[in-house]
Amino acid sequence: MKKLEEILAQCIDDVMAGRSSIKDCLAKYPAISKQLEPLLRIALSIQKPPDVKPSPAFKVRARVQLMEQIHAKQGITKQRWFRYTRQTKPILYKTRFNMVATIIAIVLAISALGGGTVYASRDSLPGDFLYPVKLGTEQSRLVLATSDTAKAELYLTFANSRIEETAALVKKGKPEKISIAINRYDGAIAMVIQRIDASSEGQDLAEMSEVVALATSKHLDVLDGVWDTVPKEAKDAIAQAREVSIDGYGNALLLLAGENPEKAMEINLATMEGRLNRAKAKADKNDSEGVEIASDEFARLSGSGEEIPDVAMGSGSDSYIAELLVAKRTSHHLEALAQVYGNVPEKTKEAVEQAMTSSVRGYERAVESLKKKGALGDLSEEPPIPEGIPDKVKARLLKPEGSTVEEP
Amino acid sequence: MLIQQATSGDADAFGKLYDMYVDRVYRHLYYRVGNNADAEDLTQQVFLKAWQAIDRYKKTASPFVAWLMTISHNLVVDFYRTKKNKTYLEANDTVDDSTLSPEQVTEARFEQQQLRRVILQLPGEQQQVVLLRFIEGFEFKEIASLLGKSEGAIRVMLHRALARLRQILEKERERH
Repeated sequence: MKKLEEILAQCIDDVMAGRSSIKDCLAKYPAISKQLEPLLRIALSIQKPPDVKPSPAFKVRARVQLMEQIHAKQGITKQRWFRYTRQTKPILYKTRFNMVATIIAIVLAISALGGGTVYASRDSLPGDFLYPVKLGTEQSRLVLATSDTAKAELYLTFANSRIEETAALVKKGKPEKISIAINRYDGAIAMVIQRIDASSEGQDLAEMSEVVALATSKHLDVLDGVWDTVPKEAKDAIAQAREVSIDGYGNALLLLAGENPEKAMEINLATMEGRLNRAKAKADKNDSEGVEIASDEFARLSGSGEEIPDVAMGSGSDSYIAELLVAKRTSHHLEALAQVYGNVPEKTKEAVEQAMTSSVRGYERAVESLKKKGALGDLSEEPPIPEGIPDKVKARLLKPEGSTVEEP
Repeated sequence: MLIQQATSGDADAFGKLYDMYVDRVYRHLYYRVGNNADAEDLTQQVFLKAWQAIDRYKKTASPFVAWLMTISHNLVVDFYRTKKNKTYLEANDTVDDSTLSPEQVTEARFEQQQLRRVILQLPGEQQQVVLLRFIEGFEFKEIASLLGKSEGAIRVMLHRALARLRQILEKERERH
């Protein structure tokens, strides 16, 4: 004998599926029909609610905010999984999803907002009434991009916009809104790198990673200008943006290194020299903090450069020219750093020395590799330490990596 | 496939899941809170929570949308708990049946409002079972998987929920 709850559930299923009527069910179970009927009638009187829908504007706005929150939490530093191995990266499937419904929703949203509104939102800045419309329009463009490369290009465009907005906010005297643009910049750069890495290897990957490396290098230049003019309380946000730029740059550079190590090294040397010029300019202005930041960035970029030959070898590319480029440019870098070293107060010298150490280590590694390949040519095995560097500093620079120098 | 991608951390794939299910989640929440502002707010929270907990979804065998409904349920419970002065608002239900006279439409609408109010007074899991079965249209098997119970237990819960609904409705009718 079936229990009441089983019969009730069966009857509900049958009536809802059109296989039976309430009357049929009650006739089938006459012994319990009096208990069954009221429950069945209540159950079947519960109707699905009317098809209320959220407004298209809400859907776009909520999607933008959701993606921003996700990206802000992921952050660029979490994207560094591919730095050492491509095997640990998340599996990103390339199957195209049927996006018709999505596209319709977005188009409806844009229509609901009106073309004029969308146009007017183009120049809006964080905090402006139309800024969410601008972000929503960006999301709609993303939906229409079907390949990883196309998405990477779009995310890079958004990252560029965030940097432009940051500069514009400073000009307009609204530094308190900078962090909004910077957080979104972080998310956009993270997505650029993720999309490039998901794109097929070869031409697309090489071209996109080069574009991103150049763009993020340019972002650093723009952020230099912003840093110089922004009030003290907004400097943390700019420092965060610089971190994001450098990390994004480093990741793009290493992706490029796997495809075209020569190009990767050329770009990195140019970016390093940008930092050197900045350090020199800041030293001339007695801006110790500026010198320290530029020297630290130089050292980090030098470290990224050292990884290029390893990545190239891992991808089966020849790293000879990349190593030669480093070795040839080191004397120039050390001379510039020596000049800065002589121009800064004692407390700042440590940062400059750290930059020199990175440069020397890069040279030593390049020379060692070239020597093994029998391609040393007229390069000296000894790093080209310029005149004027104090002996104790020179001794520290020439000491093998990992060893310590006793202070006199 | 899309869900697999999202559980692997692909934010874009999760964005597509949002596009697929945002209407349904909103509709469910609107039914439960009865106004646009709260339904919108909770809809956003549901998707953010879903992303944060997406690792846990891997372990369940129920449909993704059903899982979203569970998150919605928990948020609604919190919503009413933290806003104790909130009453169950009348959702702007419409009864769409051209065969009914205006009086019949009004009466049907009243009945649906009354039923909704009573459903929302059911205890947590009973309420969830009724909503998932009748409002969201999930099968007993799916509900059982989602709530981590046997199908038999779900049937018992539904029976009790309907008996309770009957009891409350009868009391209300006696009062009027």
